[in-house]
Amino acid sequence: MYKIMMFTGGVYKFSELKERIHDIGGFILQEMVMQTETMMHLAFPEEEERIIRDKAKQTGGKLKELPLAGAEIMVVVPSLGKHHAVDPMCDIAEFLRRKGAITNMMGLARGVGKRIAQITTREKEIIEECDAAVFVFGDFKECLEVKSKICESIDVPYIITGGEPEVKIEHYVGNIGRKTARMRHREEIDMLEILTEKIESLIDDRRRELDEDPLATSPLFMKEILDLVLPPKAGEEFSTIMQLEGLRVKIEAGDEEKLKNVEIGKRKLSDICVIKKSEYDGYILKILPEAVTGNVF
Amino acid sequence: MEVKVEGGGEFCDASYEKICMTTLRDISLESNIDSVYMNCNAAEHVFIISVKIGRVQSPITVSDMTIKGDERLTVTTETYVPKLLDLLWDRYGEKVEQISRLEIALKIDDDEMQKLMSQVVYDPRVDLNTRILDGIDRILPEGARVRQPIRSTGRITIIASENPIKEEWKENAKAMLSKMTKGDL
Repeated sequence: MYKIMMFTGGVYKFSELKERIHDIGGFILQEMVMQTETMMHLAFPEEEERIIRDKAKQTGGKLKELPLAGAEIMVVVPSLGKHHAVDPMCDIAEFLRRKGAITNMMGLARGVGKRIAQITTREKEIIEECDAAVFVFGDFKECLEVKSKICESIDVPYIITGGEPEVKIEHYVGNIGRKTARMRHREEIDMLEILTEKIESLIDDRRRELDEDPLATSPLFMKEILDLVLPPKAGEEFSTIMQLEGLRVKIEAGDEEKLKNVEIGKRKLSDICVIKKSEYDGYILKILPEAVTGNVF
Repeated sequence: MEVKVEGGGEFCDASYEKICMTTLRDISLESNIDSVYMNCNAAEHVFIISVKIGRVQSPITVSDMTIKGDERLTVTTETYVPKLLDLLWDRYGEKVEQISRLEIALKIDDDEMQKLMSQVVYDPRVDLNTRILDGIDRILPEGARVRQPIRSTGRITIIASENPIKEEWKENAKAMLSKMTKGDL
C-alpha cells in the first residue's frame, strides 16, 4: 500500500528528498517550487514512512497526511444558481482539496425543489466516473427526505449534506444547508471535518475492498508511465488525475491509439484496463484486477 | 430591519433569518426595509414572505454628489458616477470628458451648469420594488418557482411553491397579512 503525503518547506536539500523518494520506489505526484518555498505531493510505500519523515525533518520541512489523496470526488448541488454557489459548494470542495482529493463541481439541470427534483442518466454517469460524491442540499428536513431518493440510484459512495441536524437518511451530515457567507467559523469548520471523516471512511472501505482483490497495477505507477509517454502540454495542470481504481487521462484527439498501446510491464494498456471516453472530460481508465489480467510484470 | 421566520423548525428558521439579513444587506436594501416576515411550510412546500417597505432615500441630485468647479465637477460620492456620466453624455455628448477617476470636465456655460446641479442622477424609489423582488427571489428556495403576489399597501407579499398555488394558501397569506398590519405578527 502506498501512502500519500504533502511536503511543504524550503528549497534546502529538496532535490535530495526527491531522490530519496525515487530510491525507495515512491512517486512525486505534484510539485511546485515558488521562489524559496516548495510544495510536493508524494506517494511512497507505507513501510518506508520513517525514511521519508527523517529526510523531511533534515530539510526543515513539514509533512502532512492527505487522507483523500488519490480520490476524485464530485461535489453536486441542485443548481449552479446563487442559492447554492459559491457557498457552501465551494467551501466543501476547498476543504476536500485540502485533504488531498481532486474535486469536480456539478450543478444538476433539474435538481431544485422537493417533488420536482430529478437527476438525468447522463448526470448520473458523470457522477459515477468519480470515486465518491457529495450532494449539497438545502435546509428543510421534509425536502431532504424526498430529495435523497434521487441519490439512491448512484453507484458510487456518496454523502448527503443538509441543514437540519437530524434526518433519517443514510450517510447524512447536517448543520450545513444553505449559506450566504464563507464557512469560516469554528463550528462550521467542525462540520466540514465531520463531512471529510465520513467520506474518508467510505473511501477507506473501497480501498480495503481493492486490497482484497488487488488491481493489475497501481494507478500511481500507471500515472508515472503515462506522464512520460504522453507528457502534459506546457502550462497544463492535472492532465492525468488519479482515481482509486484507475485514472482520468486528458489527451488530445488522435492520441487514443497511442494510449491503448502504452506498455505497462509486459502488457499493453488496453489489455489491463477498460478504456472509456468520459462523459465529462478526457478518458477514464479502469484498471482490471490482477485476478483477471494475470501478472503484468 | 427586523426579520422573523416561522414554521421551518429551529435550525431552518435561524438559517433563513440569517439568509434574509445577509441577502438584503448584500443588495443594499437593509435601510429601505422595516421588517421581513417569512413562513415556511416545507411539508406542503409553500413559502410566504412579506416585506414591509420602510423609509427610502430621497433622490440624489448632481449637487449631492459633486462639487462645482470652473468648467468641471469633482465627484464626492463615487457610487453614482456611472449614472452621472450616463446623464451627462446623454445631455452634452462630446462636451463631457472624464479627466480622472473623480474629475469630470464640462464645456458648458454657467447657466447650464447651474441648471445641471439640480438634476436628479438617481431616484432610489424608481427601482425599489425591482430590487426588493430580486432580494425575495434570492431568499426563497430555488425550487419554489410558482409565485403569487398578494396586494397590500406598503408591503410586498409573495406566496411561492413548486406546486400550483391553492386558494387555501392565499387565504392563509391574507390572514397573516392582516395580523401583520395589526401588529400581531
